[in-house]
Amino acid sequence: MTGTETLKATEPTGNAGATESPVFSVRNLWKVFGPKADRIPGSEHAALPPAELREATGCTAAVRDVSFDVRKGEVFVVMGLSGSGKSTLVRCLTRLIEPTSGTLAIDGEDVLAMDRSRLRELRRHRAAMVFQHFGLLPHRTVLDNVAYGLEIQGLSKAERRAKAAELVAKVGLDGLEDRRPSQLSGGQQQRVGLARALAVDPSVLLFDEPFSALDPLIRREMQDEVVRLHREEGRTMVFITHDLSEALRLGTRIALMRDGGIVQLGTPEEIVGSPADDYVREFVRDVPREQVLTVATAMRPALAGESERGPAVRPEATVSEAIEAVARSGDPVARVMDGGRLVGVVDHACLLDVVAGTSEPGAAAAPTSSASGAPDAPGGSREVTA
Amino acid sequence: MATAQATSARPAATGARRGPLAALRDRPAAAKLLLLALVAAVVVPVVHGRWGGGIWPEALTADLSAPLGEVTDWIVSNRDSHPLFLYFFGHISNAVVLSVRGVYLVLLALGWAGVTVFAAAVAWRVAGIRLALTAGVSFLLCGLLGMWVPTMQTLALMVVAVLASVVLGLLLGLAAGLSDRVFRILRPVLDTMQVLPAFAYLLPVVLVFGIGVPGAVLATVVYAAPPMARLTALGLRGADSGVMEAVTSLGATGRQRLLSARLPLARKELLLGLNQTIMMALSMAVIASVIGAGGLGDRVYQALSSVDVGAALAAGIPIVLLAVVLDRTTEAAGRRIGAEPTGPALLRGWRGWSLAAAVTAAVAVVGRATDGQVWPDDLTIAIAGPVNTAKDWMVDHLYTGVPVVGGTADLASHFTSGVLNPLRSGLTGLPWWSVLLIVAALAWTIGTWRTAATAVLAMAAIGVLGVWEPSMDTLSQVLAAVAVTLVIGFGVAVGAARSERLERLLRPVLDVFQTMPQFVYLIPVVALFGVGRAPAAAAAVVYALPAVIRITTQGLRGVDPAAMECARSLGATPGQQLRQVQIPLARPSLLLAVNQAVVLVLAVVIIGGLVGSGALGYEVVLGLAQGDLATGLVAGAAIVCLGLMLDRVTQPTTRRQRQES
Repeated sequence: MTGTETLKATEPTGNAGATESPVFSVRNLWKVFGPKADRIPGSEHAALPPAELREATGCTAAVRDVSFDVRKGEVFVVMGLSGSGKSTLVRCLTRLIEPTSGTLAIDGEDVLAMDRSRLRELRRHRAAMVFQHFGLLPHRTVLDNVAYGLEIQGLSKAERRAKAAELVAKVGLDGLEDRRPSQLSGGQQQRVGLARALAVDPSVLLFDEPFSALDPLIRREMQDEVVRLHREEGRTMVFITHDLSEALRLGTRIALMRDGGIVQLGTPEEIVGSPADDYVREFVRDVPREQVLTVATAMRPALAGESERGPAVRPEATVSEAIEAVARSGDPVARVMDGGRLVGVVDHACLLDVVAGTSEPGAAAAPTSSASGAPDAPGGSREVTA
Repeated sequence: MATAQATSARPAATGARRGPLAALRDRPAAAKLLLLALVAAVVVPVVHGRWGGGIWPEALTADLSAPLGEVTDWIVSNRDSHPLFLYFFGHISNAVVLSVRGVYLVLLALGWAGVTVFAAAVAWRVAGIRLALTAGVSFLLCGLLGMWVPTMQTLALMVVAVLASVVLGLLLGLAAGLSDRVFRILRPVLDTMQVLPAFAYLLPVVLVFGIGVPGAVLATVVYAAPPMARLTALGLRGADSGVMEAVTSLGATGRQRLLSARLPLARKELLLGLNQTIMMALSMAVIASVIGAGGLGDRVYQALSSVDVGAALAAGIPIVLLAVVLDRTTEAAGRRIGAEPTGPALLRGWRGWSLAAAVTAAVAVVGRATDGQVWPDDLTIAIAGPVNTAKDWMVDHLYTGVPVVGGTADLASHFTSGVLNPLRSGLTGLPWWSVLLIVAALAWTIGTWRTAATAVLAMAAIGVLGVWEPSMDTLSQVLAAVAVTLVIGFGVAVGAARSERLERLLRPVLDVFQTMPQFVYLIPVVALFGVGRAPAAAAAVVYALPAVIRITTQGLRGVDPAAMECARSLGATPGQQLRQVQIPLARPSLLLAVNQAVVLVLAVVIIGGLVGSGALGYEVVLGLAQGDLATGLVAGAAIVCLGLMLDRVTQPTTRRQRQES
């Protein structure tokens, strides 16, 4: 998976194909904390597990040898448990934390080579971030907090206030413009944080565990908000989370991190359907597979006579939708129709295998799903659970 | 079951097999004391044989009065001619005189009505209607007491000193807040400056600037700037890192980060710094009357030196009023920060300020037109006479012969003869090396070897300076006063921690007592106990008590409620809760209370030199009064050393706590 990506990313392409020019292109990125950190990447210590590395050098590798692309318009989720390096990784993208080594490009431009003013331009206009603990200025009103990014850019008061008012309305905070952050609930504060990031109209939004500090119900509400924004604007997003269900709900693609490295990168369906190793398998064990896997993964070729009967489902429909369709119709199979063309069928056995986890769709199915997942990236696979 | 027994038995077995060294490792205090005892066993016989016991040996002193006398003579004779004075200190001195005079003239031009209205309007703008009334009434009272002109003199000096302190403090604080290296250098200096008694600052300033307003202002600035610098630095460093990161992520420049985020985030600390600076400046501006500050402090000083309690009180009340108004106003302003603006829109933002200015100007003009600039003489109440009558009555009826209690003078003389004298003769009777050993032992058990070394060196410096005896005298007064303070303070605090009602009753009293400048405490004790060492100790106790009670009560109340609940659920009696849960958990606060008690008591015991407590404080006063700066400087240096030693001996290790947290 990562191998093919590298190939794709290295060819310099114009703006023509959305999938062809990555917003972020990250290659062999390292971030090591500790004494003489710059000597670690590429040394004989590089491959050591974290505890041994610490023992041998006193350093901690928060991000180790990470490569990936963030494609235009997708929601790229980086997911991992605390301490896996995901927050450090997202901070490296705008050099809030200076990477130790590797290459990093935004829209083909080398980020690590930028001087201070260029980097400021990047932060001001191209990538805006939403933080776990909001990071709002307590002495400013909601409106002035939202307008802060524009103020930094030097916009006039009237201009930035007009723009900020627009965004306050967009995130559903009308009427609260003159409140202080301390007077808002956690969810409302994060809406302010979101509006502040959106106000500068960045080409990519970075989210650092934005909803971890919120109550479950509010978190759900905010996730819907992000889904809605993404559907309306199609803005590229990089989303950090430690919550698997959040990752599956929002992600076009998910990078699963452990001990600073990416263990698997793929669509939610690939992560759940064909875990790369035991760690990932353990991770996704409790995920209701029928809600993530699509019928395209579960189907088998149609036998003679099966093409005539049964309810029709789209290939990207989830297995649970197919189960519902089959159960309602009473037919033994459902036909998988892609634009009027029969691509296969799912019967009771196929569907139950998915639910029971006995099927191993694995290698054969994965490319198919990736092919069907990628092109319709904006608003694509997340509708599975919506 | 069997395995559980085996594992529980194993530690006990190893414990039994451990040698005495391992046992010492578990009890670092015992190990330190043992090591110290070993060193003492070797060194003491040698030292004792060489120099003998008793007070600090002559052979080890360095007589500094001759060289110091030369230096002062040189400075005095060159003050008007040397370029350093002409082009540096001279300009500073002139600038100070000019600005104090300018502010004073402005205050006079505003007239009493103008000043009162201005104070009330500013208080209204920043702190609300109640404080506006307090401010107005306070200023009118100052006039009524016939103290308008001295009040304005003190205020003029305060304004200049506070402005200079704030500017200096802000600059130092900015440097320390933004640079780690500056912070590391500055922090111990500022921390130490905060524990030194105000008196120690007077002499070096007098040496350079002579007696007069410039010296008084500069002493005040040196004394009052550290809290501003310290809190500015702490506020800037304490800015929420999440917010700062968010600001950076939006592409803010360094200057934008500082101006739009870091400074506003530190607003509470900045205002707290302003509050502390104002209070310390007032305290010092009053004390600086000893070196010619004039104003209210001078009136108190003059009255006290002739034991005219009535006149002292008439000048003391305006000081207290000024302190209360300034403290409450800045404190309320600090509390308002971050809260939603309230009150009519007319009083908010710049409109409030311009309204205040307009009203003040109008009142001042009206006052001018009606010739009401100077407070009318027929509108004053002379309280000095009645107060002195009351005091004479007290002298007749309370000083001696009160049944059961005895009289206040009896009490004072009993305290002097029963506590202070034995303590003093005990301290001077101790071999000098044993004093050093005790200091080392105390400082080392409670702190690190560094604090112990500082304390011992400071104590030795006192000996070298040749002021061992007066220092022991001062030390005996400090120890006695600290003991009384702690007994009363802890007793009251335990009660206040247990009873909500007592705490509510105490709070306003403590608030007022904590805002009063040190100097003011001398007035009532002189009225009650006359002059001498006991009154000075009493003033010190009264001055230090509020801080001790407050810190201890907060410490006891701040104990983790879960731990208290747990103790209660196990059926602990209130006494058990106090002994086994509250006091052990509140240990850091109790240690802090002891430290504060020592520092505050020392400050007042030194000032007690003005009311006959003798010792180091008196030598400073004497040096100033007779122009014998060498004596005063040596005493001042000894005060610094004593303050340093007492602080280090009672300062629990902060480093270990930081590591644990």
